[in-house]
Amino acid sequence: MKTSHRYVVAALLGLGSYANIASADENLFGYIKGAETMPKGTYELDEQLTYRSDKGVGSYHAWDNKTELEYGVTDKFEAAVYVKAQAINTKNIVIDAYIPGDEKYGPRLSGVGTEFKYMFLSPAKDDFGLAGYLDLGYSWLDPHSGLDKDTYTVEAKLIAQKYFMEGQLVWAGNLGVESTYAKRASLSASRQASLPADFDWPIDNEMEVELSAGTGLSYRFAPNWSVGGEALYEAEYETTVGQERWSVFAGPNIHYGGEKFWATLTLFHQLKGYGNPNSSQIDDDLQLIERTKNEVRLKVGFDF
Amino acid sequence: MKNIHSLWLLPVAAIVSPVYASDYLTAEQAQKVIFADAQSFEAHPANITSDQKDKIKSISGLRQRWDTQQIWRAVKNGKTLGWFVVDEVIGKHEFITYGVGVSPDGHVVGVEIMTYRETYGGGVRDAIWRKHLVGKTLADPFKLDEDVPNISGGTLSSRNVMDGVKRVLAIQKVLNLGE
Repeated sequence: MKTSHRYVVAALLGLGSYANIASADENLFGYIKGAETMPKGTYELDEQLTYRSDKGVGSYHAWDNKTELEYGVTDKFEAAVYVKAQAINTKNIVIDAYIPGDEKYGPRLSGVGTEFKYMFLSPAKDDFGLAGYLDLGYSWLDPHSGLDKDTYTVEAKLIAQKYFMEGQLVWAGNLGVESTYAKRASLSASRQASLPADFDWPIDNEMEVELSAGTGLSYRFAPNWSVGGEALYEAEYETTVGQERWSVFAGPNIHYGGEKFWATLTLFHQLKGYGNPNSSQIDDDLQLIERTKNEVRLKVGFDF
Repeated sequence: MKNIHSLWLLPVAAIVSPVYASDYLTAEQAQKVIFADAQSFEAHPANITSDQKDKIKSISGLRQRWDTQQIWRAVKNGKTLGWFVVDEVIGKHEFITYGVGVSPDGHVVGVEIMTYRETYGGGVRDAIWRKHLVGKTLADPFKLDEDVPNISGGTLSSRNVMDGVKRVLAIQKVLNLGE
């Protein structure tokens, strides 16, 4: 825990050191994307910190960090590169085929990727905003177990956005599909020895498809400040079992948009879900195999 | 206008204050920029009734947010040169305060940004951009990238200022601000 706390503090301090730059394509939501793109020739540095906790059994704490640099290639097209890092502290959780016992480490680089967004329609100019989004990622650490796992992802999203009340109220909706190819590393001999004899740890190649649908509403209640809510449905499909898991998260958010930076804090709680019935998941109404009960996400952006 | 504005701010007045507001012109200065020949400006503050709000929306297609509107009559040799209306619209983060000069026959004489608080979208202060609004009447399209250029990175600000100017023309018509 101490290592992880240091990680959080270091990330926040790191953000503070950039506070002299300026602001533009800001995220009103933590999990839902908006349709607007950055102006041509401008850059934005985004820091995203997500804390995930509670799998219903044992103790589970994980921190994901994503540092992203976005660039406005044209007024309608932006490109970005990102680096991910993670920290994890899990105790007394063994989920067959997913979590093989305790794991604890501080921040480690875990992945890289690139993102592209093209705005077909501007929500401010065309009344209804529409954008296409593509994310190509590679990671080498599993965010759930914390162990080594090579994962290649391609994610595409259709993003809609609408301004109401001259922009005081903003709605956004996302539809997404993500394709994943992954391969786990074998468990170490010592870890294997600590697990039940029938513990399953597949190391074959995995292919998975995830569909997602999300929506959010944000209301500017005072100059610079907005509050809102957002919800996200995600369903994972695999060849052998069809729909393997799904979950619905929802929660409130608060956003600040200023001259130097913007920041958004979202509290996300899993309302409903479904996991693999063959696993040792405790709570049948939630998806706790690859999700947790709670997430907190802080995003901060600096434009220059 | 002040009533609504203060209501909007009330819930967080204690914790939030604009930290980077830039005031460029007072109402008095903006009046003189737009109506340089005027000898005097007579205050004609207006209370906008619910019925008038409906008419303003019907004419302009835009919601009249404010209950009161600060208006002055620009006078030279006893004659009306035009009307100066102070208005506010939503910007990316805060309100943009601006003044519009309207001729008695319903043409835009000039637009001056009085207070602007945004990082991007500062282009609405650009005299070249604002010049696209001069001469406009309610018969014009008022459409970004059609008769008024869009400002990259400040689309919401430019859209709202452009729409606001159209709404001010509707105010002039509904309140009969003629000769």
